Amino acid sequence: MTISKTEIEKLAKLAKLSFSEEELERFTAEFDEIIAFADTINQSIEGGTEQIRNVGARMVSFDDLRTDEVVPSLPNEKILSNVEGYNGFFSVERSKK
Amino acid sequence: MNYEIVCGIETHIELATKTKIFCGCTTEFGGEPNTHCCPVCTGQPGSLPILNQKVVEYAIKAGLALNCKINTKSHMDRKNYVYPDLPKAYQISQYDEPLCEKGYIELDSGKRIGITRIHIEEDAGKLIHENGYTYIDYNRSGVPLIEIVSEPDISSAEEAKEYAEKLQLIMRYIGISDCKMQEGSMRCDVNLSLRKPGDPRFGVRTEIKNINSLSFIQKAVMAEAERQADILDAGGTIVQQTMRYDEGTNSTTPMRDKENSDDYRYFPDPDILRFSIDDEKVEEIRTSLPELPFDKLKRYVNVLGLPEATAKQISRYRKVAEFFEGALAEGASVKNTANLIVGTIFSNMDTEEEKELFAVRISAAQFAALVKLADEKKINIGFAQSTLQKMLESGKPVEEFIKPEDLVGISNEELESLCKEAVDANPKAVADVRSGKDKAINMLFGYIMKKTGGKADIRKAEVLLRKLIGQ
Repeated sequence: MTISKTEIEKLAKLAKLSFSEEELERFTAEFDEIIAFADTINQSIEGGTEQIRNVGARMVSFDDLRTDEVVPSLPNEKILSNVEGYNGFFSVERSKK
Repeated sequence: MNYEIVCGIETHIELATKTKIFCGCTTEFGGEPNTHCCPVCTGQPGSLPILNQKVVEYAIKAGLALNCKINTKSHMDRKNYVYPDLPKAYQISQYDEPLCEKGYIELDSGKRIGITRIHIEEDAGKLIHENGYTYIDYNRSGVPLIEIVSEPDISSAEEAKEYAEKLQLIMRYIGISDCKMQEGSMRCDVNLSLRKPGDPRFGVRTEIKNINSLSFIQKAVMAEAERQADILDAGGTIVQQTMRYDEGTNSTTPMRDKENSDDYRYFPDPDILRFSIDDEKVEEIRTSLPELPFDKLKRYVNVLGLPEATAKQISRYRKVAEFFEGALAEGASVKNTANLIVGTIFSNMDTEEEKELFAVRISAAQFAALVKLADEKKINIGFAQSTLQKMLESGKPVEEFIKPEDLVGISNEELESLCKEAVDANPKAVADVRSGKDKAINMLFGYIMKKTGGKADIRKAEVLLRKLIGQ
């Protein structure tokens, strides 16, 4: 499977990212390599990725899910420690577009 | 209108769990911004979501109450889109393996509206746009939701409203959500297209987002159907887009171009294990469900013999129904119990919410003790009503208000002399009754009730009074 430049452009748009023409060319080539790598793994497994999901993945039973008990949340300062906050909120400047 | 409405409704319902869907943060409404948050619900790299058991249980409850098939194996998917209300740039939801599928809700007409699926997912944060900035509060991020998707079986505005109303009633009854549309714990998106009657093909549909009241659902469907009909009549075509309903102008206007579902690039969330629920557990949840409101309604009418209007008022609220049934279990009669609830207790409750909460200060047993006195004709119904009112206000049992001497009522002799007294004391009222103004007799009733503290049997008094007046 290969990926086209149009597809990369579409993904970039969905992710709200903009790239230069040169970057787009480069990413398209790099994406191709990543997909080829995944294809190699896929081919080495009989039945393909579906098989990985169905057999390889562990299942958890209902009884082992998390019980509905409140644990303390983090203090607001901690939550905002890596960002610019405003009155306890995360604050983001709105993009021009 | 020469078109047939084809309508389906997607409903998001916030589940009343204590904690969020993938972390132990509280789901409590409000609170200072970003104080009900942790690395998981703010999407910090390296944090791991762990599914809340109660969310699965509540979703299964919803599925069973809506006659769905429960998928005993299920998993979570990532739904990708970039918007600041989602800290991870994806929402954890379910795509191809929803917890519940293929159910239905039956309308009063007997028509069934199919339920395509019910899946579980996380809610997004809240955004405030101000002065060129967006302020984000992630307290709501990760609050569990179920999304209930109906089949496009709805064919009128009335059916749309009835569907949503029934859905709300059932969800409240099974206790998984308070479903308050104004506060956003129940939100409806309506999909709508038109087609010529008999045409098997669907027309192009639009989606009306975030309708926040039941009556607006009905109005929005009507407004959007009219808008589409006008376009089609003029030879135009419908554009697939998202609409907003404006209650002020009672019209729908476009919001933004609808993205194709492919654009969400769903894939299984590798952080969350696929999960299984055994059939035994599903059965256990099924038996934990209360009798549903429509089944109760049918039973109240067909088995207990209540008039439908009264039965509807009682069965509509789970706590009221439980109080009613509690009193019956104590031996109170169906008729007096129902009438005192609807007539007296409800007169103290102005809003739907109060009836929903049904915070009465007396127990069903205390209530039954009073009803039984009326059943045995030891007190008349008017006295029972006024006593009940006092009990409700004070939270005290019936013995506080009714003394043994009250119980016998008053003797026939006493009543007769009281009636004479009433006639003598109200010559004008008597003259009015004689001249045909029959309502004036109420003056005489009032006199007798006042004198006896409401204990007199008013039907007996009426016979005596009419004899005295000469009618």
